Amino acid sequence: MSTLALKGPYWVTLRQYRRTLWLAVAAVAASLAVIGGLRIWDAQTPDRHLVGGGLVPADENRGYETLRLAVESGSAYLLLVPLLVGVFVAGPLVAREFESGTYKLSLTQSVSPAAWLRAKLVSTTAVAFLTLLALMGVFRIGWSRVSDTYYLTWADRGPYEATGIVLFAYVLAAVAVGALVGQLIRRTLVAMAATGLVMGLVLLVMGSFRWSILSVKTITAPAGPTLWTPENGLVMDSGLLTASGARFDQLICWEEAARTPGTDVTEGLWGKVEAQCQARHGATTQYVDYHPESHFWPTQLIESGILLALAAVAAYAAFRVLRARHR
Amino acid sequence: MTRDGIALEADLLGKKYGGRARGWALRECDLALPAGRVCALVGPNGAGKSTLLALAAGLIRPTEGTIEAPARERLAYVAQDKPLHPRLTVADTLRMGRELNPGRWDDTVARRIVEGGGFSSDTLVRDLSGGQRTRVALALALGKRAELLLLDEPMADLDPLARHQLMGLLMADAAEHGTTVVMSSHILTELEGSCDHLVLLHGGKVRLEGPVDDLLAAHTLLTGPIGDLAPHTVVESRTTGRQLTALIRREGPVEGPWETSEPSLEDLLLAHLRTTEGASA
Amino acid sequence: MVQGIVVEYRIDRRSGVATYLQIVQQTKQALRMGLLEPGDRLPTAREVVEATAINPNTVLKAYRELEREGLVEARRGLGTFVRATLGTGPADSPLRGELADWARRARAEGLEREDVAALFTSVLKEHFEGDDA
Repeated sequence: MSTLALKGPYWVTLRQYRRTLWLAVAAVAASLAVIGGLRIWDAQTPDRHLVGGGLVPADENRGYETLRLAVESGSAYLLLVPLLVGVFVAGPLVAREFESGTYKLSLTQSVSPAAWLRAKLVSTTAVAFLTLLALMGVFRIGWSRVSDTYYLTWADRGPYEATGIVLFAYVLAAVAVGALVGQLIRRTLVAMAATGLVMGLVLLVMGSFRWSILSVKTITAPAGPTLWTPENGLVMDSGLLTASGARFDQLICWEEAARTPGTDVTEGLWGKVEAQCQARHGATTQYVDYHPESHFWPTQLIESGILLALAAVAAYAAFRVLRARHR
Repeated sequence: MTRDGIALEADLLGKKYGGRARGWALRECDLALPAGRVCALVGPNGAGKSTLLALAAGLIRPTEGTIEAPARERLAYVAQDKPLHPRLTVADTLRMGRELNPGRWDDTVARRIVEGGGFSSDTLVRDLSGGQRTRVALALALGKRAELLLLDEPMADLDPLARHQLMGLLMADAAEHGTTVVMSSHILTELEGSCDHLVLLHGGKVRLEGPVDDLLAAHTLLTGPIGDLAPHTVVESRTTGRQLTALIRREGPVEGPWETSEPSLEDLLLAHLRTTEGASA
Repeated sequence: MVQGIVVEYRIDRRSGVATYLQIVQQTKQALRMGLLEPGDRLPTAREVVEATAINPNTVLKAYRELEREGLVEARRGLGTFVRATLGTGPADSPLRGELADWARRARAEGLEREDVAALFTSVLKEHFEGDDA
């Protein structure tokens, strides 16, 4: 953690935020201790052999259960990284300079205001990337054991971000948005809250939007037996098709079954009525819309592209604001 | 770029802060400060002194008019509240000066100023007293080896001994390197003796500007019978019974039954302040 | 010739006397008292202002005045040096002896200290009218 080789405003930034730097190192160390410890605990209990071959964790393996829990919440913590970075940039890094008046010192040195802001943002980004890389590495240590179990698949919120590249793009967007908001709102706490809100919103919106980027694949099969999604796919929609290939509104038959007397008391009657209704309407084919696992990287790349565009716009605006206000 | 021999020049300079309720902090400000001068920027609180210095430092942009000052590398600015990073030590703060002013920084000068304060350079800035902060802020400014030093109320937090010592160091720097210095204060006596140029601001406007000697020589304090003072410009006059006391800006020699004397700088400032006060009321 | 700083100026801001004149007067006083001798270097402007916190140009103005009167000379890059001495100087000069005799007689004739001072000032005024400082 030597700052000896650093020069100019980079040295100043890292010197000023030494404690934050150590906090990042401590966070990585702590998460490594937790995940590593849990892996060791989990390894104490041998896995159970399945009748048809293969291994599954033993039911009494508490270490495995705890590891699963830790990976699940760990991926949520990883989602917090861009949020925290944005909040840090907006508040302590930028707005506080204006609130406390130290910008009067920083902006009248020989280095230009743009170089000053650039140094702050570049150092923060570098440290955030390194921290993120380390945390994701730690996450992988746990993930490799528990992946593809309930709620822990490639497409789930959390693991999706934690095993891809989008988080780096989120961090860049957070740095740029923080730099802009910090200058516009020159109050530390308010700027922090506003940036947290904006980045939270971006995470939320992108999270719901990302599976609309690529078009889904669809498979069909005769109605009846459960249609399993291939390619470890993420199911987006499923239902019935009529003979013409149109999507059939299943509510029609659900309502008919509900109206038929006795369906609520007689075992199996509901299903029979519904099936008859569907046959009458010619809905004899079932379908599943899904994203195959091969959509993982294209989706990551497109999402990152959108975030980089946001980062570029915010960063441009941040430097424009700085130039407009100071010589 | 500034004209030859002029360190700081303002032309119809004006600054209006945002917000409907707030008016012009500075308006129609013209001034040309020759290089190598030590200039006192005086005026009551709210006269626009800090605004003028911040404009000169390039910290804010003018609303109208222009201000010509040396480039950022060649000027140093100490704001009124002496901002410093609270979590850096004094030694780190000086290192910051070196890092942010590559090729210019004079560590010996900066160290000398800090060492005169009698506190350890391992002290955190946030643990310093007001006077000690001022010392560190001045060390940063002087260590930069600037051509133009802009100091906003530099002596306000200092005890008389430190004030004398730091003013001495400042003057020594000016003597050795020909640094132009602009110092603001609302207390004239802080600056009298150290400054050879004067800018008096009041209500956001320049009321008086020039070399101190010329200003003093151009004015006369006279007492005597009431009479017509033309062609001289009367800055301020008072009558008590049959006696007239007036401060005039001379137009040619004073002829008349009056007793004349050269005013002190304080007489001059007070007269101008009282007059503009009356005019703006 | 003495090394180092040989005179130290004390500036009284409330005296009403212009600062540069105070330096001129104090330099002359030092010359009269023999504290400064030809060849001595006056303190540099930097040394004076660091000790007194006055404006450097004030010191330069005072030194120019002293140079104009032929008392000192500025040598480029070296400093300002004393050229001449002033007044009667040493305590054993004949003029001082005569003045001491005169003062003794005045006292014998019953003159008070103030009377002597007033007499002396009026004679000074009569003979040195028009000279500055």
